[in-house]
Amino acid sequence: MKKRNKISAEFSMSSLTDIIFLLLIFFMLTSSMVQINVQLAESNSKTVAPSDLIVMMSQDGKMSFNGKPVSGSSLQSRVNGELGQMTNKENASISIVAEVGVPWRKINDVIVIAKNLGIKAHIATQPVKS
Amino acid sequence: MGLKKRTKVNAQFNMSSLTDIIFLLLIFFMLTSSMVVPNALNLRMPGKSKTITNQPKYLPTEIKITRKGNYYLNGSKASLLGIEKAVRKTVRERGKFSLVVIPDDNVANERVVAILDIAYRYQIDAIMTDPK
Repeated sequence: MKKRNKISAEFSMSSLTDIIFLLLIFFMLTSSMVQINVQLAESNSKTVAPSDLIVMMSQDGKMSFNGKPVSGSSLQSRVNGELGQMTNKENASISIVAEVGVPWRKINDVIVIAKNLGIKAHIATQPVKS
Repeated sequence: MGLKKRTKVNAQFNMSSLTDIIFLLLIFFMLTSSMVVPNALNLRMPGKSKTITNQPKYLPTEIKITRKGNYYLNGSKASLLGIEKAVRKTVRERGKFSLVVIPDDNVANERVVAILDIAYRYQIDAIMTDPK
């Protein structure tokens, strides 16, 4: 009697490589997408800024909401519209990404909008340079 | 001729080295993608917070920030370092208290965030006033 089927004991790593390769591409793309090229105020906070509702303000007075340009007067309706599409409204939070030098009243206006809509607000900062 | 090939060349390709390199790159991009996301200071909205705040036993400390970014601690001019020293001393002597921050509406935001950062570091409440 002889064994007819010889079971291969070799392990194929190609499937593992496929998964890792997929994850690699994902992280490569996301790391380039979330890059912020503005100088932010410094703080020691370790809290990661939520990225669902992002209001960006630059020193030259330009404002954008989730990557699209927006005016100060239409911001509340835009945030409200975006909020209507969200499933987790209780934990929604506006992240205010303001470049250094942006006057406080502009940030205060966004805080007031967050208060009116009943959502949280965060001020994005960068780690303190030692 | 009774000569035989003694060495048999293995034609199989080993993928483990490729997996190692991809894994290394994966870890690198995982770490860098989390590093580029900015940190944030959490703001608690009036009437929204569920967190129980510490009731101050003493009068809160008032910090005014002028248009030029100068700080006034309870009416007298102070530096950021001076404010931090005063906060540290007060926390040590009295425990938790509240900072009332009154910024000018045109002051640069980093001057206000610097005060919020002091409050964050000493785990005390900073109450923001509306400049309008």
